Amino acid sequence: MATAEDRRALGGPPRGWLRFSWLGLVGFVLVLVLLAVALVQARQFALLRHAVQVGDDYVVPMVFQAEIEQLRLRDQWQRAADERLPLDADALRLRYEIWISRVELLDGGNARRLIDGQDGHLPTLQQLRDFIAAADRALGPTPTAPLDRDFVRALLPQLEALTAPMHELSLGAAHKVSEQLMQRGITVREQNQLGLGLTLFLSVLTLAFAYIALRQVRQLRERRLVLEELATKLRLARREAEAASDAKSAFLANMSHEIRTPFHGLMGMLSLLRETGLTPRQVDYLRTATESADHLLALLNDILDMSQLESGRVALTQAPVDLRGLLRDVEALMRPQANAKPLALHIDADPAVPDRILADATRLKQIIFNLLSNAIKFTDRGAVVLDVRTREGLGGEPELVFAVSDTGIGMDEATQAQLFNRFVQGDSTRSRRHGGTGLGLEISRNLARLMRGDITVRSKPGEGSCFTFHLPLQVPPPAAAPLAAAKAAAPASRPLQVLVAEDHPVNRQYMAALLENLGHGAHFTTNGEEAVEALRRRRFDVVLMDLHMPVLDGVGATRAIRALPDAERSTVPIVALTADAFAETRDRCLVAGMNDFLTKPVNLERLAASLRRLFGTEAPAAEAAVAMALQAMSREKLAAMVEAFLEQAPETVQRLRAAVRDAQPLALRTNAHAAKGAALNLGLAGLAATAEALHEGAAHLPAHEVARLVQRYEDLVPATRAALQSLGVLRPQLQTQSQPAVTG
Amino acid sequence: MHDFGFDGRGAGAQRRDWLRLGGALVLAAALPAHALQPPTGPVVLTVGGRVRMPNEGGNAQFDMTMLEALPQTSFTTRTPWYTQARRFTGPLLRDVLSAAGAQGTLIRLTALNDYRVDMPFDDAQRHDVIVARLLDDKPMAVRDKGPLFVIYPFDSRPELRGAVYYSRSAWQLRKIDVL
Repeated sequence: MATAEDRRALGGPPRGWLRFSWLGLVGFVLVLVLLAVALVQARQFALLRHAVQVGDDYVVPMVFQAEIEQLRLRDQWQRAADERLPLDADALRLRYEIWISRVELLDGGNARRLIDGQDGHLPTLQQLRDFIAAADRALGPTPTAPLDRDFVRALLPQLEALTAPMHELSLGAAHKVSEQLMQRGITVREQNQLGLGLTLFLSVLTLAFAYIALRQVRQLRERRLVLEELATKLRLARREAEAASDAKSAFLANMSHEIRTPFHGLMGMLSLLRETGLTPRQVDYLRTATESADHLLALLNDILDMSQLESGRVALTQAPVDLRGLLRDVEALMRPQANAKPLALHIDADPAVPDRILADATRLKQIIFNLLSNAIKFTDRGAVVLDVRTREGLGGEPELVFAVSDTGIGMDEATQAQLFNRFVQGDSTRSRRHGGTGLGLEISRNLARLMRGDITVRSKPGEGSCFTFHLPLQVPPPAAAPLAAAKAAAPASRPLQVLVAEDHPVNRQYMAALLENLGHGAHFTTNGEEAVEALRRRRFDVVLMDLHMPVLDGVGATRAIRALPDAERSTVPIVALTADAFAETRDRCLVAGMNDFLTKPVNLERLAASLRRLFGTEAPAAEAAVAMALQAMSREKLAAMVEAFLEQAPETVQRLRAAVRDAQPLALRTNAHAAKGAALNLGLAGLAATAEALHEGAAHLPAHEVARLVQRYEDLVPATRAALQSLGVLRPQLQTQSQPAVTG
Repeated sequence: MHDFGFDGRGAGAQRRDWLRLGGALVLAAALPAHALQPPTGPVVLTVGGRVRMPNEGGNAQFDMTMLEALPQTSFTTRTPWYTQARRFTGPLLRDVLSAAGAQGTLIRLTALNDYRVDMPFDDAQRHDVIVARLLDDKPMAVRDKGPLFVIYPFDSRPELRGAVYYSRSAWQLRKIDVL
């Protein structure tokens, strides 16, 4: 939960805005200062550039040179005026020319700018021009007067008079340039100072910027810490919530099976009560009681299913399923419900739908039951139709589709939207009339999704509904032929001595009734320790072991039995009895060394089937299966094939033993599968069933159980031969070759 | 052609022949394709010092005709001496130096008024420095800073616009000493 403190730490809008405005301001000023620095530098650059271009610095030596030339010319001129020396006209002319070239510079160009403004520079320049004009008369390019000593002497004073002003000019220029240099120096210094100030300011700003950024980083870190703390709290809260939910689920599962334990005793007693010669009135009461009990059991089963689905403890077991057989079963169960109303029930499978599919038959049946019973429940007249077909799914893979449509009351869209939610039924007033937990559709949809399918609904009020359940179509490999379904409870081949370990007196009574019904002898103990003690004293054929018992529970008792010194007693088959149907429980039992697992409530058929599995009461050769094989081939041919198969049996047994010894479940499966297929085709039901059990159990059954199955397979070979001889397929061994074939 | 076969002379005579031939080749390589002719008109420029092709004593002397005969270069540039940009024409300094067979690290320029300035020998190679003899296509009198004016192409490179290069631009050029 976000407290006020959290919200503050997370940064409300005004605070964040303020921070960003500060950052923006500092950034803006930084940019401005940088611009100013750039401007100062640009100005300095321009100043230097200007100084260089103008070349003022160079003017000083220029003026200085002019003054020197002035002095040189004066010397030359004085020498020329000297009567004692010869007049060197060429030297004078050259000196004069050079002088002109120098002083001309003073009268133009950059020098002029420096000289301008000096006091008396204009008269000086005029004096220069006057002298040149006079001298050019004899020394110029076009002389008009002769260059003689008179000419020279006449102009000498004028030349000498130039010396002082020229010197003034030279000094003036030098001073001017010095001033300029100083001025420039001042400007540069000022700009440098400005630059320095700006740099200092820049440093301060950068520090401020860094400070703000640092503070922000720290705040972000604090915020992150708060968020992390919050996340941790949330995680903890979620874990607690999940734990609470798990605890509730576990409680629900526990309660439902705790309720089921006494309840199945109740149901067992009710069913036994029916056999006690009741008056019609009592029978009617009993029927009502049984119906209520059935409903209550259905509710408990739904709740258990739901809690298991929620905790992800439902595992589907894929196996080949005879789809049309399954549909027949469904129809047989549903028809009475439909017939109770004026309601037609049609179950229609498209011819393209394969006979055999790979699925979890129990769960598949559960979904179809649920959809059909819903449809029947909410339809008062008309028809309920289950249409089974295949189609291509969205991914292009084949899908199996079960569409259940009815002519019932239908639903509006709001109801449809809530339909798959827990405890929601189409109509609360109706639901009271129709009963049900409201979990059915949710369970069905969860199961469908577990099968990578789904359930959808299409409906309009008053026009009926159509529920469509689809799942990916999986077809088992063709070699795996269907097993003959277990037939109804048949009496055991011999009476067994059964030890029952069960703490609940009602359940003990119920088990006693069941075992008596099957013709077996029952002996009871009330906990695991007593059971182990009983086995020490005498031998039993089989132990039925409740898992939850005081003193020593079923698993512990099994371990103790398996550890008994007597080999015969320590290998006694043990069947677990438990109200909880979790796969983990089953695994725990098998790992502890149990041979089978029965979920309470145990009924007669399932108990018989389990004992049959353990004691091989399956007929070695089913008459019907042999008859079917004889339709496909002549008796002689069948006889030859059976003979060949039975001759190979020892080799098969050897291979199976090798696979068990080397712990090669795959090899075991492959060999068992081959044996099963062949035995089935030849109608050898006993061998086929044993091979099937090996094939199915290769991966998960404990090793002792697998070894026992292999032993049984070996034992069945002579029994099968005898059975086929009695059926007339095989002749007594010595006569097989000489007897003529007889077709049947 | 020289015969490599046995010609009846001794081995010593043969070796002497080889030496003679080698010496001639070295001389030929050292001499330029056209040896510097002696000046016919008044000498306007004397290149002295380390010159390999002197034509008068140890110096290479040029009259105006000889400078005209070298390849001419013209450019217009601004200078501190004129308010306007002016056009200068004359041979490249490096051509004048190589015509004299000059080889050194420094050249000393001397003007008519004995103005002296030193210029790195390399300047003449790196920059198109000319020995201008025409200003705006007209010969220069001494009063016009002629007859020869060493001038850098100031406007072609900004770094040339400085006092150092201005001072190296000697006008009224009289003599070049190669050091």
